[in-house]
Amino acid sequence: MSRIGVFVCHCGENISRTVDVEQVASAAGEIPGVAYACDYKYMCSDPGQNLLKKAVAEHKLDGVVVAACSPRMHEKTFRKAASAAGLNPYLCDMANIREHCSWVHEDKKLATAKASDIVKLMVERVKKGKSLAPITVPVTKRALVIGGGIAGIQAALDIADAGHQVVLVEREPSIGGHMAQLSETFPTLDCSQCIMTPKMVDVANHPNITLHTYSEIEKVEGYIGNFQVTLKHKARSVDESKCTGCGICMTKCPKKKIPNEFDQGHGLRTAIYVPFPQAVPNTPVIDRENCTMFQSGKCGVCAKVCGPGAVDYQQEDRFSVEAVGAVVVATGFKLYSIDRKPEGSPIQGYGEFGYGAIPDVIDGMTFERLASASGPTGGKILRPSDGKEPKQVVFIQCVGSRAREKGISYCSKVCCMYTAKHTMLYHHKVHDGQAYVFFMDARTPGKGYDEFWRRAVEEEEAVYIRGMVSRLYQKGEKIVVMGSDIQVGVQVEIEADLVVLATAVQAQDGADLLAQKLGISYDKYNFYSEAHAKLKPVECATAGIYLAGACQGPKDIPDTVSQASAAAAKVMTLFSKDQLERDPVVAKVNEKYCVGCLACKKVCPYGAVEEKEIRDRQGNLVKVVAYVNPGVCGGCGTCQATCPSKSVELDGYTDEQIMAMIESL
Amino acid sequence: MTPGKKRLNYSYYPGCSLHASGREYDISTRALFKALNVGLKEVPDWFCCGATPAHNVDELLSLSLCAKNLSLAEQVEGDLAVACAACFSRLKTTQHHLKEDEEKRKQVETAIAGPAALDKPVKHILEILAREFGLSKLEESVKKPLMGLKVASYYGCLLTRPPEVPELDDCEDPSIMEDILRALGAEPVKWSHRMECCGANFTLSRPGVVLKLSNAILESARLAGADCIMVACPLCHGNLDIRQKEIKDAYGAPDSTLFGNIFGSELQQGAPKDQRDLPVFYITQLAALAMGVPSGNLGFESVITDPKPLLREKQLL
Ligand SMILES: Cc1cc2nc3c(=O)[nH]c(=O)nc-3n(C[C@H](O)[C@H](O)[C@H](O)COP(=O)(O)OP(=O)(O)OC[C@H]3O[C@@H](n4cnc5c(N)ncnc54)[C@H](O)[C@@H]3O)c2cc1C
Ligand code: SF4
Ligand code: SF4
Repeated sequence: MSRIGVFVCHCGENISRTVDVEQVASAAGEIPGVAYACDYKYMCSDPGQNLLKKAVAEHKLDGVVVAACSPRMHEKTFRKAASAAGLNPYLCDMANIREHCSWVHEDKKLATAKASDIVKLMVERVKKGKSLAPITVPVTKRALVIGGGIAGIQAALDIADAGHQVVLVEREPSIGGHMAQLSETFPTLDCSQCIMTPKMVDVANHPNITLHTYSEIEKVEGYIGNFQVTLKHKARSVDESKCTGCGICMTKCPKKKIPNEFDQGHGLRTAIYVPFPQAVPNTPVIDRENCTMFQSGKCGVCAKVCGPGAVDYQQEDRFSVEAVGAVVVATGFKLYSIDRKPEGSPIQGYGEFGYGAIPDVIDGMTFERLASASGPTGGKILRPSDGKEPKQVVFIQCVGSRAREKGISYCSKVCCMYTAKHTMLYHHKVHDGQAYVFFMDARTPGKGYDEFWRRAVEEEEAVYIRGMVSRLYQKGEKIVVMGSDIQVGVQVEIEADLVVLATAVQAQDGADLLAQKLGISYDKYNFYSEAHAKLKPVECATAGIYLAGACQGPKDIPDTVSQASAAAAKVMTLFSKDQLERDPVVAKVNEKYCVGCLACKKVCPYGAVEEKEIRDRQGNLVKVVAYVNPGVCGGCGTCQATCPSKSVELDGYTDEQIMAMIESL
Repeated sequence: MTPGKKRLNYSYYPGCSLHASGREYDISTRALFKALNVGLKEVPDWFCCGATPAHNVDELLSLSLCAKNLSLAEQVEGDLAVACAACFSRLKTTQHHLKEDEEKRKQVETAIAGPAALDKPVKHILEILAREFGLSKLEESVKKPLMGLKVASYYGCLLTRPPEVPELDDCEDPSIMEDILRALGAEPVKWSHRMECCGANFTLSRPGVVLKLSNAILESARLAGADCIMVACPLCHGNLDIRQKEIKDAYGAPDSTLFGNIFGSELQQGAPKDQRDLPVFYITQLAALAMGVPSGNLGFESVITDPKPLLREKQLL
């Protein structure tokens, strides 16, 4: 007869509010094989854990069930306590009576009955459980960082400085991300380029960092400590090992009128180009869509003028496989576009603002480029349509953000602050100009942030109008802004020369596809999900993958950098061990019964099943069976449910255990 | 009609305005459908949809009025054609609302002692013309193209809003009226106030509001070089047509501004005003005219801003 102990937790009132915990404990005491049962206010607390340890010793328990929250929350905690008391940790299980019961029910009587049933199930499972030992796997001390914005740069530098190898992958021709585009940065107005470019150069020069730009993630296999990542290196048409970065190709390329994406389409570039002069690496790419050589087979000027012969029109996409132990995802954000919504997109555009068709209605990033000394206007605020200096500029906040009807309900967090910054930059550059801001609220939590905003209002003469804008339309050279001032209670109309929209921060295009490759979760807006909103803000639920920056949600630079360093610290913690312990909940094949149909191989989502040949002593093939690689097995149990001969089972979830659980009800 | 194709047939809910101040809309709708050989059968015993007042006062009443009308419409074959923008909006809103709110639906069905016809398709005249009859067929059927007529098509508030209800066209930047105008041979102008409010029901309680808002619409139509305005709503028609003279008296002076303009923009200041009369047409009047329906049958005599001088000038009479 087993001697199981059952510990029912109140979770403060989280459980006891809807479940009669005392009754659950006393019912548990009646289950055959239960030697001890009690309830306690906080089982996870120190006294709670001690209670468990003491009971194991006093009542000679050979298994433990803690009826409390989700195992994702505290399984580790209680297994550690059980182990300290001398039990095999895998003979300690949790009955989830919070997420699966008290939180989702209202009727106390029914909830109590259900909680008792859940406890009964887990008791049966532990009764039939076996002692297991954790599996150890080696750790590859090499990290992959995806995305070379400030988040990826910071994480890569930190990990590399700690002495580990880093592979940094950026999909654009240069690293830098959005921060490289900014003019000056809140809350101190220091020049973005000046603080960013040294870090970019550090990345390029760091002996521990291998940089792959113009590259993407093709495939991810493996698990924590042992990932195999296939990279796709898009054809640059320029051999990086030969190019000296002299730039003569760019001066000679006859295709000179291509809108430069880095300047939000307002500056011009050539077909062979680097996005901006400080790009890292300083190796150009050929934009094949706009290159005459690729489009009509004529030209070839850049190859002719290139001294070291680096231009290579024949170059093809290349693939490489990198072995890494940890991954930091730092793919950043994109800005919401007010254009007509693409077919099938959940996001509505802004027809009332002309769907992006009014030339002097621009977004905040375009304003950054206009204000930037290295931008298309050399830092002068000149409007796109006719290059005139605008004297009345209207800024509109929350465009697309906090707008459920447009498909986005969250706050983009950075636009209140950068709009205040924009009004200041404008005031510094156009002394006789007037800035107006339409806003819902000014959200300025952050060190020195409210002071910064007050400065825009009180010293830099920005007129803040609390209210929304209903329509923008072109009238002659002006843009009429129709809005309301809800504080004064009047409708307002302003004839503006330039309108700047603080559009929402959205997840990157393809963020969902990357997440599927990595096996990490994302929310309905495609921002990546952290494992716990408060206590695990940089970890993904998938072990060994960490998050940094705006790919997780809108973030400013200070928050991005903090999170990037935190992610790097997590990677270093992982790399501080040579071996990793993994839960032994993996599938095992009973070779005696396995008929070698390999149905399990077809269904295994982790690709953990291999073929194994069984030979006799003479070396003759006896039969082929399935073999599960314990390092790769994710413990999902799909094979177990599929196997027609019942010869594969998960440790900890054997058929015997599951049948006992079902029969107990 | 293309031979061999089935004739289109609709049930028809005119609504109160079309039997009263908006008679021309009803007359011209019937004339147009006849000219296009599309069937139109009035729903027997229909009554008021409750319009704006009902849903302001009593939601259940408003929903029940529409639900009852919809169930009456079920008795007539064919999708329900509606011309008035407000009736259209109320009927569609009722269906939308009751589909989402099971409890409300039960209350309403008790009130009207029968099922609410939530699946009876409700179609606005605009979508019938542009999508069901079809733009190309419409173009083929034109006998007298509206050549040289510059039209400001005015949508107002209700035809496309709120976005989840009418499903007629893009909520803030629609083009269905312009598409129809092009098919009729007219020239739609690009202008700013297609979607702004005319003041609607405030015409009775606070006419000052209507004068101000409708003035902004008329002024921007003139600014865009329009000869006339086209509407699909009897209330918009009333505000823009009947009040046009009053608006000129109130806002015709050269130094007036459109809105309470507290930030000193220089809108309209000092400029001499364009004071042209702008006739206001229903979509069906213009379409029927293009189909060759004699102008005497389209109710042109019962509007205030006389359209005949313009039509004569464009040789459309
Ligand atoms: C108009 C504007 C003004 C701002 N001003 C300020 C300011 O003054 N102060 C401040 O603190 N913050 C400001 N911010 C916020 C700041 O831009 C962000 O905090 C910061 O850029 C976030 O950095 P990131 O590295 O997370 O993302 P990003 O800068 O977006 O970088 C992500 C990088 O990942 C790459 N990438 C994306 N997908 C992939 C993929 N699948 N594979 C490989 N690489 C990929 C991208 O190409 C990019 O290089 C502003 C934002 C805006 C929009
Ligand atoms: S080959 Fe293409 S990239 Fe090179 S110079 Fe000609 S157009 Fe420019
Ligand atoms: S940060 Fe400010 S402007 Fe941006 S969405 Fe939030 S409240 Fe609106």
